[in-house]
Amino acid sequence: MNRLFNRNRMLIILFGIIILIILIGFSISDRSSTTKAEQFTADAAAGSQMIIDAPLNFAGSIFTSIRQSFNAVEENERLKAQLEMLPQMQADLERLETENEELREALEVSSKQSYESINARVISRSPDQWLDNFTIDKGEADGINEGMAVMTTEGLIGTVARANGGSSYVEMLTTSVSQNNLSVEIMHEGNPIYGNIREYDTERNLLVIENIKNRSGLARGDEVLTSGLVGDYPEGLLIGTVVEVQNDEYGLSQNAYVQMKGNVDDVDVVFVIERNPESMEE
Amino acid sequence: MRAIIIFLFSFLLMYVDFLFAEFSPMTLGGVEVYFVPRALLMFILLVSVYASPQMSVLLSVVFGAMLDLYIGSIYGIHTFGMVAFVLFMHTAFRVFHKDFVAMAFVVLFLILFYDMYIFFIYRLLDMVNLPAFDYLALRAAPSLLLNALIFILVFIIALKTSRIRKEVLPKH
Repeated sequence: MNRLFNRNRMLIILFGIIILIILIGFSISDRSSTTKAEQFTADAAAGSQMIIDAPLNFAGSIFTSIRQSFNAVEENERLKAQLEMLPQMQADLERLETENEELREALEVSSKQSYESINARVISRSPDQWLDNFTIDKGEADGINEGMAVMTTEGLIGTVARANGGSSYVEMLTTSVSQNNLSVEIMHEGNPIYGNIREYDTERNLLVIENIKNRSGLARGDEVLTSGLVGDYPEGLLIGTVVEVQNDEYGLSQNAYVQMKGNVDDVDVVFVIERNPESMEE
Repeated sequence: MRAIIIFLFSFLLMYVDFLFAEFSPMTLGGVEVYFVPRALLMFILLVSVYASPQMSVLLSVVFGAMLDLYIGSIYGIHTFGMVAFVLFMHTAFRVFHKDFVAMAFVVLFLILFYDMYIFFIYRLLDMVNLPAFDYLALRAAPSLLLNALIFILVFIIALKTSRIRKEVLPKH
């Protein structure tokens, strides 16, 4: 043990701890861009991982397709029944969309709700499994930037924390880093009631929303959406539904417990939401 | 040449970690059990014994930084941790050299402590709030079992890539 703590080693260890603390401070600070060095290292890791994963994914997909072929006939019939209504619906949708666009142009307003989505696949999760963050296979080259919202088909699950060239690092809503003051609206009988996300309750697996005005009359089952007031999030991305409403400890406002729609444990394909830049100018 | 092979194997073992992490957490009897694989760290620790400590430190800086930038929210945790643990291993190994059982114990215990160290830092930064007992039962113990299995694989790779094989086992 004496050798470990001789003077030189002691200095090196102390120096290392100081660097560690500086780095921790650096990574907790709120940054809006990713440095080139970070991008390069992360892209190198992501690229080589995609190469190594390719044969494994191929083998995996063979097994899934064999399994799926067993109930293909049944599924086919069900889907056909759904498909018959589709052309009419699509025609309606297009007509309504153009009409909406024309009306909006006439009024000269830009919608906070319009956005475009970029599909991406999850390529890795941290082996540590402490924070449920993950890396996706699209980056700056595909138009992804820091602060964009990330959704599954069910609902919002996180934010892009670092955008590299060909991959991005996504932080989940369930970790405390990305949920800082994310503003949300809760739809109660057609009226929006505003609040912001405080934390994720890991024991109950529910999201806690604070600063909701008193006597708002929120009820179980009300939908929680993003408000579009903060950051790069468009308005109206679904987060979850209210499970329980409580007064906060001072009785000045209310807290709501929200069940998230997106399944945070099993994420495979995600959509990165790019907000219409016209609506962000004001 | 040996340095390149060791580097390539470390690279591969990093992805072995990612692969094993896909299966976790498993839900056993209603509770989520986490298995945290640490093949890369084990390999680096063994390299410090069988090849050279300097090489180990270099590997831990390179791969620690890579892990931090690729999948870490807090920079520096892996880089600092890996270097520190290689130094611990180096110190511990002056005491009992070339005894396989003792070495396996030391490596597995260091892996356990490494996980605890990361848990401790995240607790300090208030990023996780798992009670310590839950941590031991649902994370530390299952991870130790998984790592004991992986250790066999990693040990074989480390032996094959090291020079000990030529010195100690020349006639096999």
